[in-house]
Amino acid sequence: MKLWASEHIFNHPWETVTKAAMQKYPNPMNPNVFGVDVLARGVDPAGRLHSSRLLTADWGMPSMAMSMIGITRSFTYAQEHSIVDPKEKTFELKSTNISFTNIISVDEKLTYKPHPDDPEKTMLTQEAQINVKAISLSSYLEGVIAKSISANANKGREAMEWVIRRLNSEIEELASTARGSMRAPMAAAASEDK
Amino acid sequence: MIYIIHIYINYNNPPDMNSVGEACTELKREYDQCFNRWFAESFLKGERSGEPCGDSFKRYQLCVQRAIKEKDIPVDGVDFMGPNKDKPES
Repeated sequence: MKLWASEHIFNHPWETVTKAAMQKYPNPMNPNVFGVDVLARGVDPAGRLHSSRLLTADWGMPSMAMSMIGITRSFTYAQEHSIVDPKEKTFELKSTNISFTNIISVDEKLTYKPHPDDPEKTMLTQEAQINVKAISLSSYLEGVIAKSISANANKGREAMEWVIRRLNSEIEELASTARGSMRAPMAAAASEDK
Repeated sequence: MIYIIHIYINYNNPPDMNSVGEACTELKREYDQCFNRWFAESFLKGERSGEPCGDSFKRYQLCVQRAIKEKDIPVDGVDFMGPNKDKPES
């Protein structure tokens, strides 16, 4: 397990930072985050806004080995639950991966609060907890590739049907051409026999 | 020709605003605009008025839920305003 934490100060007031954090994605610095969708949202009795969001990440071009077997894209997903308290001026976000949870677990927590000494500034505390489950890299890659092979198996079968149809129509063409060219000398031979 | 189509598509669907379901991106944009306005101008200023985006949210949600089902995304559908729960193994 690995823990990671950091603190950062933004030279902007909390409202500005909170608005920005709510619309953080997409942005050019995190090109891997492909999209964000809101799954649920509501204000609780204490006046805090809860949001549950789905983050979609695209890790870009796969290795050559993967592209050879047809993996052109690998989306991974994370789910985030956030709470905005406009009275206390806190914005807390917790996210966790929902893809590959049998292999890895990444839990992140971000908290935006006004800086205790300067209300024109905002403090961000960020923590992450990373757990890689006991599985070897080779085993993981085997699993990914097997999944892709399975997904492509149907395409392979369709491809076979397509090639067979094409070959059959070529054979048919050849056969009818052959019949046509045999008919002429046969007809000639038949008329000679008469 | 394909280049022109590519430019047209990218102009009308800026590649940066993406939803998990490609078809949902426009609905998402509509909802996001409504929500971001309410969030900045009402909610953060302490107004107790409810979010006025219910209709656009419903349309957007139908689309998203369909995309999630189609893509078999393991979303945790637990009541999200309840107490924190441990993440299930999958």
